[in-house]
Amino acid sequence: MTQLIWDGLFVGSFYALIALGYSMVYGIIKLLNFAHGDIYMLGAFIGFALLTSLGGIPASLSLAALLVVLLVSMLLTGTAGVIIERLAYRPLRGAPRLAVLITAVGVSFSLEYGIAAIAGPNPRAFPVRMEGGVFDVFGARVSLPQIILMLIAAMLMFALNTYIQKTSTGRAMRSIALDMTGSLLMGINVNAVITRTFFIGSALAGAAGVMAGAYYGKIDFLMGFIIGLKAFTAAVIGGIGNIKGAMLGGLVLGFVEAFGTEWFGGQWRDVFAFSVLILFLTLRPTGILGERVTERM
Amino acid sequence: MKLGTRNTILLGIASAVVLATAGCGGGLLSSGDGETAGASGPVKLGMVVPISGSSAPTGAYMKNGAQLAVDEINKAGGVLKGRKLELMVEDEACDAQQAVASANKVVSAGAVVSVGGYCSGATLPTLPIFQKANIPMIIPAANSQELVKQGLKNVFMINGTGKQQSTTALAFMKKAGLATVALVDDNTSYSKDITTETAAQIETDGGVKVLLKTSVTAGESDYSAVVRNIMAKKPALVYWTGYYQEGGLIINQLKKAGFPGKIMVADGSVDPSLAKIAGTGGEGVYATMTQTPDTLKGAEKWIADYKAKFKTDAGPYSTQSYDAVRLAAKAIDDAGSTKGADITKALEAIDGFPMFSGPLKFTPEHTLSSGGFLILVIKDGKFTLDNTLS
Repeated sequence: MTQLIWDGLFVGSFYALIALGYSMVYGIIKLLNFAHGDIYMLGAFIGFALLTSLGGIPASLSLAALLVVLLVSMLLTGTAGVIIERLAYRPLRGAPRLAVLITAVGVSFSLEYGIAAIAGPNPRAFPVRMEGGVFDVFGARVSLPQIILMLIAAMLMFALNTYIQKTSTGRAMRSIALDMTGSLLMGINVNAVITRTFFIGSALAGAAGVMAGAYYGKIDFLMGFIIGLKAFTAAVIGGIGNIKGAMLGGLVLGFVEAFGTEWFGGQWRDVFAFSVLILFLTLRPTGILGERVTERM
Repeated sequence: MKLGTRNTILLGIASAVVLATAGCGGGLLSSGDGETAGASGPVKLGMVVPISGSSAPTGAYMKNGAQLAVDEINKAGGVLKGRKLELMVEDEACDAQQAVASANKVVSAGAVVSVGGYCSGATLPTLPIFQKANIPMIIPAANSQELVKQGLKNVFMINGTGKQQSTTALAFMKKAGLATVALVDDNTSYSKDITTETAAQIETDGGVKVLLKTSVTAGESDYSAVVRNIMAKKPALVYWTGYYQEGGLIINQLKKAGFPGKIMVADGSVDPSLAKIAGTGGEGVYATMTQTPDTLKGAEKWIADYKAKFKTDAGPYSTQSYDAVRLAAKAIDDAGSTKGADITKALEAIDGFPMFSGPLKFTPEHTLSSGGFLILVIKDGKFTLDNTLS
């Protein structure tokens, strides 16, 4: 039982990190950025390229090297997110939402097969593996890398929440979510704030990508597809557009999957998880924390 | 299906296209059959194998193996008294939609025999295309029982079947004294074929007990759920029948979770990358696999030829693809024509044709009479022969 909860929490924190980017972007410009899962993949490949170029890293330094690579990858994926927004989404700011949605699907394919063309279609083994001690916590097997990764995820989410609640940019984001035209009239540089939103969301997804590569040890150009869908599900469960909802939704999806496997067997896990999504949307279309529809961020 | 749900819609469109073009294929070929125009040109062999996607490395091994045979045959004078063989390779991508498009391309280019087919799930939808065009298929690698279940006259499999693989797996469990087993597949037709068949044979045999039979979704990174299930049941052996990407991850995560038992994988996971992804946990993992050049005695010359030509080592299914081309050439010569029906008859009549897997004679179902599966084990990150079970 404790093992179930722990596994759910661990997978859920990955979902949450990616769901955040989905939710932030949706909250501000009402765009379902389907390329977001592929930013996660991009992060993993950037991390892979950086670690490979560093060459042989002594085992004692591997965690430090990984943290540095994590930060650099976040910067680069954040920049990639900004470039994507500038090239693909901003020209369509006034266009019907469907047009932007299809553009997002296009960006997703471009990223996937662009990486496949550059890095090759074959899966790669990550050069640095996080290995570490295993503890027994109330009957659950908990490993050191898992704790480190969850701490990093929690810190990132905490920092994001503080940023949105306490800084002027955060306030600007919240106000754009409420009313974009109104914010523009009040003198907020809307484009600059949207750029920052994309930067932060993509950096978080990139971080998740590097962490997944280092923990699971395998990356490939389609790795962002399924997890992108799951993160989207998590964002919807939590109440899309709501930051705390995205975090909560990630954890809930992690639990639902863990318990679904336990109760119905592995082949039914996704059926169960997505039935929960459908049930949720029927009974509570706004998601868990969705009552704050008026204030989306 | 590697791309998941996104492709389901596209697949629907693709199958509509197949229905529309299948008629054309038949028309094209029947006109080609009657004409004598191509009677002096090269004889085309079509090969639909994965060139892109996660199975691309295996596709390259297969392509090279087939090319080696084509070159050897051409050097020795070709087929049908002096006509050259020509190999036409198209991408299967281990994806039904792509395979169908490639099969259509091969058919309309006038291929006489198909010598491709790696992923069963992608090969299956190409069967009607080749059948309509009356082109015999010699399938070197794909081995789902589904491929021959429809009883199509033009379909021949020269890899051992899922059934034969299951028999070998069970024989190994009994020989190694592994009394309990967990069967894990990835829900693809190839993979499920083996778990279902293994479970059925275990049921009949009674010597081993299946503690768990479950599936995972391919393309994910976290398999903690299935690992937890396995840890709860504590089987002596986990038999993974999917492909190597997920296989590597599952082995790695099982070892991290402290799984004390043995792990065995089926032939779709026999790839050098498996050990890389699995990390240190890969050592000692068993596999049910057909003969590869490395496990074969007396194949040294063949291995050297291959290496000299392609500058890399031969890999899984190089030999089967090599044999598929040789078999096609033999059948064309026996038939004395390039007509599909004649070649099919010639293939059915073949008895004792020497191949890597032993002398060939097809069963009435068009499969090998003996599968030739044996047990490999990972040693120092490489698959090596462990046990022939004979």
